[in-house]
Amino acid sequence: MSVETGIRFQNIVKAFGPKRVLNGVSFDVHKGEVFFIIGASGVGKSVLIKHLVGLLYPDEGEIWLDGEEISKFDEVRMGPVRKKCAMVFQHSTLFDSMTCAENVALPLRKHKGLTLKESVAEAKRRLHVVHMQEFGDRYPPELGDGMRKRVAIARALTLEPEYVLFDEPTTSLDPVSARRVDKLIRELSDTLGVTSIVVSHDLSSIFTIADRIVMLYKGHVRLLGTRDDFKHTPDGVVNQFINGRAQGPMDL
Amino acid sequence: MPEDAIPRHTQVFAAAGTAFLRVATTAGGMGILLFRILARFFPPRIDGGEIWKNLYKMGVKSLPIVAITALFTGAIMVVQAATIVKRYSAEGLLGWGAGFGTLREIAPLLTALMISGRVGANNTAELGTMVVTEQLDALRVLAIDPIGFLIVPRFVSIVATLFMMTLFADALALFGAAHTGKALLNVDPVTFYNGFTAGLLDFGDVANGLTKSVVFGVVIGLASCHFGLATTGGAPGVGRAVNAQVVASAAGIFVLDYVTSFILG
Amino acid sequence: MATTSPGQASHPADVDPVPEAHAPPGPVAALGGSAIDLFLGGKELLSVFIRTLYYSVRGKREKGAFTTQMYEIGNKSVFFLSITMGFIGMILVYQSGLQAKRVVPDYTMLGATYLELLVRDFAASIGALMLATRVGAGIAAEIGSMVVTEQVDALRMCAADPIDFLIVPRFKASVIMTTVLIVWAGTVAYLTGAATAYVAFDVAPQTFFNMALIDVGDVSVGLAKCLAYGAAIPVVSGYCGLSTFGGSEGVGWATTRAVVNTSLTIIILNFFISTAGFLIFPG
Repeated sequence: MSVETGIRFQNIVKAFGPKRVLNGVSFDVHKGEVFFIIGASGVGKSVLIKHLVGLLYPDEGEIWLDGEEISKFDEVRMGPVRKKCAMVFQHSTLFDSMTCAENVALPLRKHKGLTLKESVAEAKRRLHVVHMQEFGDRYPPELGDGMRKRVAIARALTLEPEYVLFDEPTTSLDPVSARRVDKLIRELSDTLGVTSIVVSHDLSSIFTIADRIVMLYKGHVRLLGTRDDFKHTPDGVVNQFINGRAQGPMDL
Repeated sequence: MPEDAIPRHTQVFAAAGTAFLRVATTAGGMGILLFRILARFFPPRIDGGEIWKNLYKMGVKSLPIVAITALFTGAIMVVQAATIVKRYSAEGLLGWGAGFGTLREIAPLLTALMISGRVGANNTAELGTMVVTEQLDALRVLAIDPIGFLIVPRFVSIVATLFMMTLFADALALFGAAHTGKALLNVDPVTFYNGFTAGLLDFGDVANGLTKSVVFGVVIGLASCHFGLATTGGAPGVGRAVNAQVVASAAGIFVLDYVTSFILG
Repeated sequence: MATTSPGQASHPADVDPVPEAHAPPGPVAALGGSAIDLFLGGKELLSVFIRTLYYSVRGKREKGAFTTQMYEIGNKSVFFLSITMGFIGMILVYQSGLQAKRVVPDYTMLGATYLELLVRDFAASIGALMLATRVGAGIAAEIGSMVVTEQVDALRMCAADPIDFLIVPRFKASVIMTTVLIVWAGTVAYLTGAATAYVAFDVAPQTFFNMALIDVGDVSVGLAKCLAYGAAIPVVSGYCGLSTFGGSEGVGWATTRAVVNTSLTIIILNFFISTAGFLIFPG
């Protein structure tokens, strides 16, 4: 299988006030893989992927998406990028005032020119894929976290994106829901060829579905490699993190 | 802010300057928002379905409170006029006396204050909650323009709601006034209604009040959307935003009331 | 007084996946429902008011809280109130000048009539509506966030009645400060009114400052309104704050309800006090 670069982060620097969260981060993401970004809380994992869809802009550095430099795009030119890169938020972030079906229908109605009725019917078909068909008419606050997450994934997939960003998809889910989400992510890549970028510190997800992993530490890339590379690294910091030990060389 | 470092007598100036800057920032932010809203009309990129949804939520649901306010306001206007009417025993002028102030000033003003409290504050709370829970970012990630999808429909609905509610309040306030006149001063409602069709009041007075209602609607719409969008700091931030919105709307309504009163003459 | 808002349902976890079917209520049911809500809300409000009065007399005296609230309610509202009342003074005189112009272009009694209306009604009622927005929203937001963060429950656990602890200092402070602020607001409105009369209708200040029409009735009605509004603002908005529910979003709704309900209460109180005043002191 030939390796094709989809996304390239080049020397990204981002500071919030005096705090430099990202301090020259560079790596590539290949097309069709499940790519994990891991690291301790507050290390800037979510910050990094928000740069990709224009929710944040880097202070320095470049972001290449399919051969286009997108880090200086304005809101209008970001439009096509956002249709290509969908994002699933950490807290699902469904629109509370709409039913689940309407949530999924919204991008269809806005971008595919469907009427409200057509789009809701289509949305219910999409909900079927994530096994949420019977909850189409319920409002998100009535549902549990796992269900909301599945609706959020259905919403992200409506525009047939090439890339899907997952911000801590399994955090705050029970173990069964978490493994179901993992399975869904893996299937997206295997069956539809979608590239998934997953921000996570859930160790069991990392070692079941990741193709390649990057670990961020203190604003830099600490290690980039496959699951095996991570398991056999001599690096004490990485070792401590992937084994979840309280004692070790890592400082926060 | 290290306030201790500043000499005490200059703190007043510092406070005044800070207050001024804050007012200027708010006014500037609202101006930019207005510009961005207007830009969505040429060419129209507005979600029509959202406008209807908001009109129902804001308009229909505000009817009871506007009705109560208007009935009592009309009654109060007559009670206030009653002393003067008795003094000069000018019962024929009661309708005109109460009607003039009601149509031109009090009905638009009180309706606007109530709508600011009910609809404007609700709108700020809703937008603020969406901002702090990242729902606005979720819209942007779906490549949907939050201004065209969320803000413009709300803004249009608030202006339209206030206009219609003022019309409604005008009618109900005069109704309440007529019946209070009957109860309190034994002025027949017919005499009362004749009082303001006799030529001293005309459509200009109604139009005057309605023009004001549009101005107030713009103020409330802008203030509530601006403070909603500018919400920071989680749930307590939403409370603060609502508070700031009602205060800014009230101040804006009074200042612009004065300006429009003078311009319309 | 309870206006229900959507989106307040608490979030049950994955336990209840069966959608319950509830038919939308018919118009009669809706009307009856809101009547019952109004009645229950009114009853609870009355109980809060009575308990506030009781603790105002019998409760422990918290000096610090009282002065803090005097500052919060009083001093911090002066700027806002001066601006709004200054403008309303100009508007009212301008409008009544226009009104007078249509019948008899005689402005000699403009100042006297304006002062009478100001003392009897406008200073107190419009000033109180402004305070309802600023002070009422503040009280509801503050108490509301204490409710959702369970601080009020913590108070109860310490055997402190939240009404004694939270509402009573605000109540006392508000009754005093509302009266003071309204006297100030009336003064501001009168002065800006005099300036407008001079500029727009050429009425000399000597003619405008005419106290001939003020009598005991006007002053007592005005004062009664100050006290009633001063008492109503903290009780109604405190009640709205204490009845906050639905987590963090609830604070926003509670604030909204406080503004609307306090304003409505003021308008309704105004009607009753004005009517009573007219019947007791006719002309």
